[in-house]
Amino acid sequence: MRAGRIALLRLAILAAALAAWEAAARAASPLLYVPPSAVVPALGRLLTLESYPDLPASLALTVREIAVAYGLAIAAGLACGFALGLNRLLGRAFGPILAALYAVPAVVWYPSLMLFFGLDAASKIAFGFLLGFFPIALAVLAGIRQVSPQLVTVARAFGARPPTVFVKVMVPAMLFTLVGGLRTGLALTVVGVIVGEILGSKAGMGALINHAYGLFRTADYVALVLVTVALVVASDALASLVERRAGRWTES
Amino acid sequence: MTPSILVEGVAKRYATASGPVEALREVSLSVDPGEFCTLIGPSGCGKSTLLGMVGGLVPPDGGRVLVAGRPVSGPDPGRVASVFQDPGLFPWRTTLENVELGLELQGVPAARRRQVATDLLEPLGLRDFARKYPRELSGGMRQRVAIGRALAIDAPIVLMDEPFGALDEQTRLLMGEWLLDIWRRTRKTVLFVTHSLHEALALSTRVVVMTARPGRIKSVLGVDMPYPRAMDSAEMVALRAGLWAEIREESLRAMQ
Repeated sequence: MRAGRIALLRLAILAAALAAWEAAARAASPLLYVPPSAVVPALGRLLTLESYPDLPASLALTVREIAVAYGLAIAAGLACGFALGLNRLLGRAFGPILAALYAVPAVVWYPSLMLFFGLDAASKIAFGFLLGFFPIALAVLAGIRQVSPQLVTVARAFGARPPTVFVKVMVPAMLFTLVGGLRTGLALTVVGVIVGEILGSKAGMGALINHAYGLFRTADYVALVLVTVALVVASDALASLVERRAGRWTES
Repeated sequence: MTPSILVEGVAKRYATASGPVEALREVSLSVDPGEFCTLIGPSGCGKSTLLGMVGGLVPPDGGRVLVAGRPVSGPDPGRVASVFQDPGLFPWRTTLENVELGLELQGVPAARRRQVATDLLEPLGLRDFARKYPRELSGGMRQRVAIGRALAIDAPIVLMDEPFGALDEQTRLLMGEWLLDIWRRTRKTVLFVTHSLHEALALSTRVVVMTARPGRIKSVLGVDMPYPRAMDSAEMVALRAGLWAEIREESLRAMQ
């Protein structure tokens, strides 16, 4: 009942925004402001592969880059987070550096990534990785700090050795924070890959967006953005599903 | 008879930010099987440290600790079970799963440990709370789950570090009666830490008074009275006054 009302309210807001957008764009310049009535046919042309026949290949490339970058970010983020979180010396030496690096606007690294990795997929993967890595590593660190020392003492008193303490106490106790970090990491990896493509590439969704924008094909540009948004929303929905699962399991 | 717990001349120092602190000095204690022995003394007198040594969680700096005649080298749930002031229940586990923890860590098959835990819920007064999570239980219930977790592994010795310290007074009195009932039925060796004179005298066969830091044993008081004890009998009132005089002196020293 309540959910239905919320959905209705959302639809109403969306419709109002679209109507306002249409009116404003028509009154100003339809070329620069692209009213919804122009986006719909452009989206049609895009999805029927009329305007950009290489859409599937570009989409597949972007998804592939995200997958590789995210996989690397998870592996390095977990490894780095656990190394710094479980080893007091490493944690004290490098923990603050990690936090400081995270505060640097990552986009300043991108030019050097392009110089290192070239204009192809590798530099996009590297940038996506860079953005996704920090929230994951920092979530592991935060998660480890969250584990109650009392639970570790109890597990030890009942005969648990360190590997068992890790599996039975640490992982469940930090799971919610960890999954939150993984979700943020995914969102930022997606941002990194797409921003990387827009800043300079020959293929992928970002390259198509850049092309349409550069040629002033604004309706096509908006349609491409919508497809990209759909990709991002889908990946985040998947992540939130996983997060809710984890939440139900560890809720305390 | 081999004592259940034998502590010989143990010492412990902790390094703190403001220099080393001597927690225990030359403490010796022997507890026979089936005894309910209570440690009482001012805060910071090393009671918990002593318990930690018997439980294998705290290595002594000097002296030795034997449990059932064998030196303690680490936690040994086969011989010693522990209950702490903070129950330390796993928030993602139900009552039943928390009670099963020790058996699970010992590799007892799932069906068997479920049976043991389920059978324990009745005397714990938790039969209707088997599938509840710790956050859904009251403080007294949580501590009963923690006690159940200790009883489930059926070790001959149970260490209890101020198990009722965080509970309100009424709950505390009831939990004491309940624990006494459990102990008289299982006849385990209990080494108990408390700040409560009432608890010490109502439950123990022997009360050990410890000094202010560095903790040593000041005196030992045998309480040879049948259970349940009439706490307002003349005998008991006299015992209590004597015990308070001893502890008061130490508590005053600890406050300085």
